[in-house]
Amino acid sequence: MIDIIYRIGHFILITLFTTALGLLFMGIARKIVARIQKRYGPPFYQPYLDVLKLFGKDAITHGFIFDFGAVMALGGVIATLFFIPLGSWQLYSMEGTVLLIIYFLAVASLGMAMGTVGSGNPQASVGISRALTQMLGYELPYLVILFSLIYRYQTSSVWGLMQAQSGSFLNWNLFAYPLMALVAFVVLIGMMGKKPFDAMIAPAEIGSGPVVESGGKYLGMLLLQKSITIIIELALYVNLFLGGADNIFSFSFKMLIVWILATMFGSLFPRFRIEDGVKFFWKWPLGIAILQALYIII
Amino acid sequence: MRNEKELLELINVHLDPPAAEIKRKQNVSVSIKQENLIQALSFLKSHSYQHLSTISCVDWLDEGEFELVYHLFSYDDYINISLKTRIKREPGVFQTAKEIWPVAEFYERDIHEFFGVEFKGNDNLEEMILENWQHLPPMRKDFDTRKFVNDNYEWRDYNGQKHTD
Amino acid sequence: MNNNFVKGSWQEILDWAQNKSINMLHYCTGCGAIELPPTMTSRYDMSRFGIGPAATPRQADMLLVTGYLSTKTLRRLIYTYEQMQAPKFVVGFGSCTINGGMYWDSYNTIKQLDKYLPVEIYIAGCMPRPEAILDGLLKLKKMINNGEADGYKRYEENLEFYHQNQEAVLGEVQRTQ
Repeated sequence: MIDIIYRIGHFILITLFTTALGLLFMGIARKIVARIQKRYGPPFYQPYLDVLKLFGKDAITHGFIFDFGAVMALGGVIATLFFIPLGSWQLYSMEGTVLLIIYFLAVASLGMAMGTVGSGNPQASVGISRALTQMLGYELPYLVILFSLIYRYQTSSVWGLMQAQSGSFLNWNLFAYPLMALVAFVVLIGMMGKKPFDAMIAPAEIGSGPVVESGGKYLGMLLLQKSITIIIELALYVNLFLGGADNIFSFSFKMLIVWILATMFGSLFPRFRIEDGVKFFWKWPLGIAILQALYIII
Repeated sequence: MRNEKELLELINVHLDPPAAEIKRKQNVSVSIKQENLIQALSFLKSHSYQHLSTISCVDWLDEGEFELVYHLFSYDDYINISLKTRIKREPGVFQTAKEIWPVAEFYERDIHEFFGVEFKGNDNLEEMILENWQHLPPMRKDFDTRKFVNDNYEWRDYNGQKHTD
Repeated sequence: MNNNFVKGSWQEILDWAQNKSINMLHYCTGCGAIELPPTMTSRYDMSRFGIGPAATPRQADMLLVTGYLSTKTLRRLIYTYEQMQAPKFVVGFGSCTINGGMYWDSYNTIKQLDKYLPVEIYIAGCMPRPEAILDGLLKLKKMINNGEADGYKRYEENLEFYHQNQEAVLGEVQRTQ
């Protein structure tokens, strides 16, 4: 009984911490992009104020499916937090969590798609079809990488993969299989929707894609969902390739390094079209991932 | 590749216009009678004047006429020609140049909206720049802009001082 | 603690958050819109005050009417304004929104924006330089912080007045519900 209460409290704490950290990372990204463009940017805490303001506005709803879509997107993402080890905190650890996390991220996108269907705006459907097509693109190299890692370490839980890299830091997968880490970094940029892979957000072309009809509370919820998604994807990358960490602070520090690199990379490029993005993912990253997988197996 | 003098000779010989002159370098202005205009347009088009830049209209209120000006350009000679005709203001009806250049449809739509000239043969003469306009076509010289604005809009009140008369 | 005290202080917190983060939908109606890119980019940076661009009316707080409005544009602007969600602010930009400006005797432009939409603050000039724009926007932020920027409430209270003026100029205007 005490155990269940302890776990529930643990879960709420993890959710709040992840949300706060994700919003802080978004603020840091805006500041870095602003400094690259030689201007001052908004302060670090700007996303907190954005969320607070958005929850204070009225909102227009388009029916039950629209509301349910927003809730499903946020709920799917919070459910993923069950299975990611953050530092040494983890709620559940079992075999197969790697694939479970990939599945849950797709649930979040489908939730947004449902909200889009409920709103009835054609620009939103264009945006969400682009997002799902792009997911087709980057999932394939990512699955090749994951299956080769599972084969190498003979375990499919994220905790196990993290433990297998303990010891000195030369055991990290970053140094053992550097090509795979590079491919996973490019896939990470595609997952987070940064340039050059941000055709699904595309402000000048299609409104802002799937969120074109959301305002007020719905936009606030989608902003929270985005911040938790960022932390989940970064945490997955750090656990698989940078060896995880013992405590939460060095884990956050490692995530911050990867985030800064991804932001600086993403601020330099223009936007790919969707067909170009998918073709790119199936050419070089897939080729390099398959080469690395063959090297592991043989 | 003709220069302006050769072009003027060509026009004088074939078209017999009432007036034709060289305005300045690369600019020739020709006046034609109303009946001969469409034939003059096809003649010039077949002699390398293939670009219709625009059609404009001038309102001569005292003489009771509209003057339509067709501006043509040739990529071989690099010379602009302005072909001018006068039509009577009262019925204000003319033929369309749509069969020679399909783009003339839009220029005529514009002139119909602002001057009230009707073009026979062009059936796409609805309004495209103004919306729900029910008064006199605004570019005519007997449309009093100042009076229209004073009747339909209110000026901002700066402490009792009126903005204009 | 009675209900009004809680509501009042919650409203103050919301006003403070609103003034720190404004999403701007810049409706580039006229020639004044050319002063917006310098204000938004590196030299006179506007995002350090928390003002950022928004892509659609549903996500925007502030409508920046830059320059003259012909009657054709006014109809679309009214549709856009009615799609935005409360609280929302309108800023009139340039002298054409104040008294007709350079086009004061044109048959097709409107002469005062104040009769058709509730305006919070005007920024004078033809056009105003980016320093003037930033000055006006900072005054708007102060007004929002004090709770004086209640244009949307004025629109709802005087709905008959605004609708009458709009229909005098435009003819018939479609309303939803």
